[in-house]
Amino acid sequence: MASAAPYIELHAHSAFSFLDGASTPLELAAAAEELGYPAFALTDHDGIWGSREFAESCEGLAVRAITGAELTMALPESPDGPISRARGDISAHRPREVAHLTLLVEGAAGYRNLCRLLTAAHSHTRDNPGRAASQPWATLEQVEEHAAGLVCLSGCARDGALAGAFERGDTARGERLGRRLLAAFGRERFRVELQRPYWRHDRARNRWLAQLAARLGVATVATGNVHSHSRRRARLQDAFVAIGLGETLEESEPRRRGNRSSALASPAAMAARFAEHPEAVAETVRLAERLQFDLTQDLGYRHPREGDRSADRELAELCAQRLAESYAGRASRTVAEGRLEQELATIRHRNLSGFFLIHHQLLELAREVAVEVRGRASPRAVLPPGRGRGSSVSSIVCYLTGLSHIDPVEKNLFSGRFLNDESKTLPDIDLDFPRDIREVLIPRVHEVYGADRSALVAAFPTYRPRGVVRDLGKALGLPPREIEKVAKTTGFHESAGEMEQDVIAAIGPERAAAPRWKALLWLCDDAMGLPRNASQHSGGMVISTEPLVDVCPIVPAAMAGRQIVQWDKDSCSDAGLLKIDLLGLGMLSAVERCVDEVERTRGQPLDLSRIPLDDRETYASIRAAETTGVFQIESRAQMQMLPRTRPQNLDDLTVQVALVRPGPIQGGAVHPYIERRKQQRRCEREGREYAIPYAHESLEHALKETLGTIVYQEQVLEVAIDFAGFRHAEAEQLRRAMSRKRSQEAIEKHHRNFIAGARQKHKAPAELAERIWEQIQGFAGFGFPKAHSAAFGLLAYQSAWLRVHRAEEFLCALLNEQPMGFYPPDALVQEAQRRKIVIAPPDANRSQVLCHVETSRSSEVGSGDPRPHEQRGGSVGGPPTPPHGAGAVRDGLVVRVGLGYVKGVRSEEMEGLVVERERGGVYAGIADLASRSGAGMPSLERLAWAGALDGIPADPAAAASAAERREALWRVGVAANGRGRTRRTQLALPIEPPRAPPLQPLGDWGELIADYRSTGIALGKHPMELMRPGLDPALLSSAELERAGDGSTVEVAGMVVARQRPGTAKGIVFMTLEDERGIVNAIVPKRVYERHRATVRAAVMVRARGRLERREGVVNVLIESVEPLERDAAPQPPRPERPPTSRGRGQAPAGSRHARELAVAELRAVAPAGHSFGRRGK
Amino acid sequence: MTPGLRRLYAPEPVAVGTGAGGTPCAVGEVGVEAVREEWVVDDRWWIPEQLQRHYFELALVNGRSAVVFRCALSGRWYRQRA
Repeated sequence: MASAAPYIELHAHSAFSFLDGASTPLELAAAAEELGYPAFALTDHDGIWGSREFAESCEGLAVRAITGAELTMALPESPDGPISRARGDISAHRPREVAHLTLLVEGAAGYRNLCRLLTAAHSHTRDNPGRAASQPWATLEQVEEHAAGLVCLSGCARDGALAGAFERGDTARGERLGRRLLAAFGRERFRVELQRPYWRHDRARNRWLAQLAARLGVATVATGNVHSHSRRRARLQDAFVAIGLGETLEESEPRRRGNRSSALASPAAMAARFAEHPEAVAETVRLAERLQFDLTQDLGYRHPREGDRSADRELAELCAQRLAESYAGRASRTVAEGRLEQELATIRHRNLSGFFLIHHQLLELAREVAVEVRGRASPRAVLPPGRGRGSSVSSIVCYLTGLSHIDPVEKNLFSGRFLNDESKTLPDIDLDFPRDIREVLIPRVHEVYGADRSALVAAFPTYRPRGVVRDLGKALGLPPREIEKVAKTTGFHESAGEMEQDVIAAIGPERAAAPRWKALLWLCDDAMGLPRNASQHSGGMVISTEPLVDVCPIVPAAMAGRQIVQWDKDSCSDAGLLKIDLLGLGMLSAVERCVDEVERTRGQPLDLSRIPLDDRETYASIRAAETTGVFQIESRAQMQMLPRTRPQNLDDLTVQVALVRPGPIQGGAVHPYIERRKQQRRCEREGREYAIPYAHESLEHALKETLGTIVYQEQVLEVAIDFAGFRHAEAEQLRRAMSRKRSQEAIEKHHRNFIAGARQKHKAPAELAERIWEQIQGFAGFGFPKAHSAAFGLLAYQSAWLRVHRAEEFLCALLNEQPMGFYPPDALVQEAQRRKIVIAPPDANRSQVLCHVETSRSSEVGSGDPRPHEQRGGSVGGPPTPPHGAGAVRDGLVVRVGLGYVKGVRSEEMEGLVVERERGGVYAGIADLASRSGAGMPSLERLAWAGALDGIPADPAAAASAAERREALWRVGVAANGRGRTRRTQLALPIEPPRAPPLQPLGDWGELIADYRSTGIALGKHPMELMRPGLDPALLSSAELERAGDGSTVEVAGMVVARQRPGTAKGIVFMTLEDERGIVNAIVPKRVYERHRATVRAAVMVRARGRLERREGVVNVLIESVEPLERDAAPQPPRPERPPTSRGRGQAPAGSRHARELAVAELRAVAPAGHSFGRRGK
Repeated sequence: MTPGLRRLYAPEPVAVGTGAGGTPCAVGEVGVEAVREEWVVDDRWWIPEQLQRHYFELALVNGRSAVVFRCALSGRWYRQRA
């Protein structure tokens, strides 16, 4: 192809040259097209992470993508002697000197060689004790061995194999290396690379390189070494280099480029830049015309059993057998047979039988692993090893082969999205597993398929607001304290435009106007969303028949025994790789733990597949939004919705799971659905049929079950087909374009086709078509397929059922499976206590390492009832009172917090403590514990602070006393002496220490702080209960709010356990406050949020004033003002000053502001981090 | 800076004649025989004291060398020992 442009770029870096390139592949492709480049090479450092994305981006543009990479090569060590190294002698340590080579792919053989070279370069990068990623590099011998099919340019101006030698003043060595490379690649495939970065010695260097090229008899070629698509973005590139070096911009000045010559320039500008070397410019065009390898077409990948015709018969027989078993005697058998025949025909037509059999084989492997992990006799053995999710759940073949657990015939699930004749991409099958099974399954897959034929998929974490503020702030030399203040104020999903407000709120408008802070803001704007580094996907794996390394380079993962391909799930999918998602789902793990615990505590094996699916009590609790800890429907948004949608059955739950998602929310489906549901229920009560108001009659088939609204993802396809006349493949392209971040142009093309199609098929007016398109466009956000919702809805119901009927075991399982879910453990515990579930603190004589449920039949110490020292709130020596918030122990069950919950204890020491207790009996005293358990003093001290030693008698001869933590700590200090740091801990002698001197008890507030600090769970009084006596009596508790009138002005206070600012909410922040009686839902409008930004974002306890709204059983407070609680001024004169860790039990922090400030500051340091703007934790 | 001290190699303003494309052809009264090297410094963009300089290393007709730069911010020419 003759090029009209005088110059083609053959050396460019995207942001996938991590912390070096500053533009996405799409930005580079779009800028290249705009500047008139007909072809363009992407050559990221030591990888092709972004090459598929680049090639796909170029597909829609008038730019041909050239594939390549800049390889780091170890320079042969001896400058004088032989420079070859014995084959296979590859040291793991970093070579003394490295250089860069630019490698470009000419054909398929060259691509395979590039993949193998890059794999070799990375193969040793984790060979260190911490498996930290080190610099990849390949040897010259490896380059020579893999030269076929590649064009080699000699590298960049500073670090290139030849140019670097000039820079170092070692031209003789450079020439020797040039001759080696010439010998490896040949005259036709080796070029001396000239660059002009506008550094001081450019001309001298290029003159020397040109003369060397003449001596070698090879051509020169000019390159730009592009690192950004625009001159503005080049500044971010400067900052990235500083970050990569761990230095400020000032410190890194000598090593940075020093100008913006690496920004993409036009072909004409580049030709002018090399006016002294016109032949090098012309060579770019000649070379580009030879480099015709197309990554989107020439990959040559085949998935396992592709083309294996016996697979058709094997799959058909398997499905027929399973169908006969599953549908025996059922009315739906005929329908099932028809569905199966249809699906098998499509599968045969698309040559996918082997694909499904591979997945079935994997599931059987998972079954074997499940038996190993669970044990044959485990009560969990009746549970399937994993569950399907996503659109694959709609397939009857998946159902019959065990890849899904939902009957698609019974649930009327539409399989067209998952499997159809027209689609060119492989179907997506995702499987959820309990975490423990998945941890064993992934390395087992490597074993079975071979390490060279299986690998995990890559993931590229991108820059988010907090990370970008921290990294760029440091590079700009901003004060660390200020950086941290701003970082903590920013939200996880915040846009760059909002960050200016955060900066002003955190450090004040004067400081925010400083040039460095201004620079930070626009750098953040550029950096957000760019990839920071390569990581492994949570569960995506690719499997190949041929060695994977011929398709994509493989690099070792941070976790031992795992490796990843250099492409993410989108690139793997584009390349047609067989990708399986083996995902670990916390709730599956929790449910399995619960089943185990139920069998242990009640002696009843529990088969979740046999629980009634229409339990009234369960649905009643769901409708009342009593769903803390329940899968998928526990979030604040879901809890607000449940009393309004009022699910009655699994079908309703299926809608519920799908409804509260960005897709339906942005598509405007939620409120219409709720309103129509209400009207439908009214009609049912009145005995008449509800007429669903469809926007157009053609939408009835697609939207009937969701009352005319688009709730499920496949309804987008169905609407596009039924209303706008899209073919199935076209509708599928629309769906894929909406789910990909890089497809705005593609979406716009579909928009035009949609409007035109609606007009043609139904003569629909443009205004109606646009309105329906708006609803579809809303699904550019995330939406669930119905099949996925059905699978998740079932798990939601099962977890709700467990919460209602096996409450203690379910809570115990949730606590043991953290981190997971919406709420931190403390919030789960507080809510459980309000339900009268008894939770007992960790106890060295009763706890296991994990939480467990104690029974009154327990053979452990005494009865299962909490012992006197566990009954907080009473006074020393007084009559025992029930544990805070509890009545009598329910069903004789108590949830006992495990020793593993105590922060900072060594897990092997806790295991040893429990083993020894079970072997030799309970610990008779502190000295006995210290001498027998094997735990060192640090762990024992932490146990003491957590109250886990309170039950250990001070005097072995006396009855168990209500020992206080300070006393226990004193006794540990005297009795224990081992530090437990080495394999063996020197044990203490079992001599009881003398009585402790009189020590002030911690008191309620002190114990609260100690609880949060040691376990993150406060089992005694709620902080608000302790503070309330000193607060303004006008403040209503959550219980009192229930009696306040709709529309009344109220004032509330509480601890912030969750804050959300969904992208769909137009700037509104939802806060969940907790007090001693329950939860307050606070809605902070945008204008109030702007006024009180720092408080809303970061305060631990707040006081707020607002208007109460009560709608269909849901109570919210629409906030008008909010302040940190410590600023609360009591109307009456303050009480006498007392320190917050007050003496004596039952004393609340004093009423003065100073005391409150101290108290809240103390609490802020230790309170558990709740759900905050999109993530759990700090 | 402490009184009495001066910076070594501080840039000094100089008159530079330019030809086509802004390339120097004379430094003061002395003509330029050749441009040996040409480079650009565009840095310190995050502070008010930015650097935007286009440097030339020149061989003069009188046999001497000179390094001059044009500051893109002020448009003025300077000579610098480098």
